[in-house]
Amino acid sequence: MINVLIVDDEPLARKELRRVLSKTDDINVIGECSNAIDAIGVINREKPDVVFLDIQMPRVSGIEMLSMLDHEKMPHIVFLTAYDEFAVQAFEQHAFDYLLKPVNQARLDKTLQRLRRDREPQKIDQLPGANQLRQIPCFGQHHVQLVRMEDVEHVASGVSGVYVVSTDGTERPTELPLHILQDRTPLLRCHRQYLVNTDCIEKINFLENGLAEISTKRGQVIPVSRRFFPQIKERLGIL
Amino acid sequence: MQINLVDLSLVLLQQMCVYLVVAYLLSRTKFFIPLTHVTIRPPHKLACYVIFSVFCMMGAILGMPVVHAIANTPAIGAVLGGLLGGPVVGVAVGITGGLYRYSLGGSFALAAALGIVVQGLLGGLMHRHLIRKGKVRTLFDPVKAGALTFVGVVLELLIDLAVARPFGQTLEIVLLIAVPELIANTLGAAMFIGILLDRRALIERQSSLFSAKALAIAARADGVLRRGFNQENSMTVARIIYEETGVGAVAITDREKILAFIGIGDDHHLPGTRISSASTLDAIANNEVIYADGNEVAYQCSISPTCPLGASLVIPLVGEDSHVIGTIKLYEPKTKLFSTINRTLGEGIAKLLSSQILAGRYEQQKAMLAQAEIKLLHAQVNPHFLFNALNTIAAVTCDDPEKARDLIGDLSTFFRMNLKRPSQIAPLAEEIEHVNAYLQIELARFSDSLSVDIDIPDSLGRVRLPAFTLQPVVENSIKHGTSQLLRPGHVSIKARQENEVLVVDVEDNAGLYEPKPTGQGLGMSLVDRRIKNCFGPSYGVTVASERDVFTRITIRVPLEAASK
Repeated sequence: MINVLIVDDEPLARKELRRVLSKTDDINVIGECSNAIDAIGVINREKPDVVFLDIQMPRVSGIEMLSMLDHEKMPHIVFLTAYDEFAVQAFEQHAFDYLLKPVNQARLDKTLQRLRRDREPQKIDQLPGANQLRQIPCFGQHHVQLVRMEDVEHVASGVSGVYVVSTDGTERPTELPLHILQDRTPLLRCHRQYLVNTDCIEKINFLENGLAEISTKRGQVIPVSRRFFPQIKERLGIL
Repeated sequence: MQINLVDLSLVLLQQMCVYLVVAYLLSRTKFFIPLTHVTIRPPHKLACYVIFSVFCMMGAILGMPVVHAIANTPAIGAVLGGLLGGPVVGVAVGITGGLYRYSLGGSFALAAALGIVVQGLLGGLMHRHLIRKGKVRTLFDPVKAGALTFVGVVLELLIDLAVARPFGQTLEIVLLIAVPELIANTLGAAMFIGILLDRRALIERQSSLFSAKALAIAARADGVLRRGFNQENSMTVARIIYEETGVGAVAITDREKILAFIGIGDDHHLPGTRISSASTLDAIANNEVIYADGNEVAYQCSISPTCPLGASLVIPLVGEDSHVIGTIKLYEPKTKLFSTINRTLGEGIAKLLSSQILAGRYEQQKAMLAQAEIKLLHAQVNPHFLFNALNTIAAVTCDDPEKARDLIGDLSTFFRMNLKRPSQIAPLAEEIEHVNAYLQIELARFSDSLSVDIDIPDSLGRVRLPAFTLQPVVENSIKHGTSQLLRPGHVSIKARQENEVLVVDVEDNAGLYEPKPTGQGLGMSLVDRRIKNCFGPSYGVTVASERDVFTRITIRVPLEAASK
């Protein structure tokens, strides 16, 4: 049995795909999402085997959504598009599965057969745009907020999860782990539990024992661990 | 004193040679230049009078006394003075020469004096006749000048016979001097004109210099007007022409006003003012070159009576379909003659500038058209929309074939209306139909997250606006507005009448409008430009937006726009 998630902003498109997928017995559609934000939550929670992912979606495109996921624990992605020459070019180049809408049954059968046989790990990193975060998705109680990189002061990880702290001091939880944020954003790792936006650093105070702490322009103090100090000095050009 | 005919002829011819040598030497001086052109300017007339009077008297002095008469050649001066200077100069030369001849005495004195006056008059009348016929060139024809002098001498001899007494003696003398005088005067006049022509050719030989100037102008002015036929570029070109031709002043006008003026008189010929000269307006209206040389065609500056400019050449600048787009004008002051070279040069320059302006306009239009067409082609084909629509219809087909058929109908309506030429004007009702077809598809695509309401009073349905105005605006609201929302989107389309203006508001609840030149800006500016093209700058498209709350695009067109 293959567990499948459909992500598309058009209800009829989702319905149509669900209809053609339901003709096969070994495909189990576990859910549908109408945008990337919802989909990130479902993917992290339900861990589907395969995601049918539309590219053109509101606010966060399918490709950008991939940058918000942990590539190590990624489901297999089958891209969907009605018309996008550039995307199709990239899919062909890196041998990603993709389907053109309206979906052609024969083509879908072929894709499904491949999915059943073996799902080789996809090199999502190679897809242009899938490795760079422009904004961090943060989850409130009833909504999702996308925090743009220039609005992030620092990111802190604690017992209750990872929090994005904005330049105005607002804290928002995010589902993205610290190491992904470190890899895909310009944020600087200064401590096991902290990433900092270098644009927000006002000064670095040197402490005893080779320790230090960062003061942000807002007055927030962020610890710097001995381990990351050399990297920070290098990045900031301090000798 | 026995004089034979051959000797007399030889003597007269000898005298004529002396006479022509003097004429030739004089022709090398500046005094001679006015004689090479037909002129009505008093100083030139005076020069003409003085020179020909001198020649006339010289002809009389160099004469050879034959009994009571003098076989001589004053006829050349008198006839040519009249021929080149007109009746007044001719008669004046004749009287001067006549008085002088009279002072020399002899029984022929009175008759000869009268004869000289008559010859001057003859030349003058011929001058007037030829000018009226427009045959200025004939004035400088050596053969015809010779023939006229021949006639003049015949007249003189007849007068001699009529006036001088006693008749018997007169007849004898006339018979003696007739042939030598006819030969000497005729040849002399012809050769005199020949010298004039040579002199003129010499002056005009400088034309090779002018062709070099023409090339210099062409090179310097290349491409200037291609950048646009406006005041600034016209000034640049006028300056180049002024500097290269050395004329008194240069002006460039469009159909209404002076775009550039450089040179003498630029204190009252001001760029930006309306054209007041009748000849310029004529040149524009009739697409013809108008040459007011200040001689045969009077020229007077239409702005200032004290303007020193005395001659103007107006050449139309011709655009597509022989439509006059403006003029170029060359001026010379009253103290200077308009060279035929500058006249030709002027026409050449006008052709050069016309083709430049035309090329510029063509390029500009091509660029605009290309941009509009690419944009339009995109909109017409709109692959995103088409494939998404087909996908939607495919999805609907199974569950609701009826609905699917409707959607296919909407899709075909949409594309059929897209294929309308964009230059066409369509009533608002038709635009709404187009928008409706489009919206039906979009509503089906985003059935769970899009709602639309349309409020257009029926009475406004007949207002006309450029076809393909409303749909791109609505599409913009959905594509860059509601479809980017994570919450339900809403679009409202409202039309109302505000005084004599139709106002259509298209408002979405996304508020994602970014006033930077992105893809959406281009589409909106195209719609805006087309409305402004049709109805003027006070109409078009405006945008109001509040971030995350709403974006409102407002279209304004005049209510009484029956047709373009």
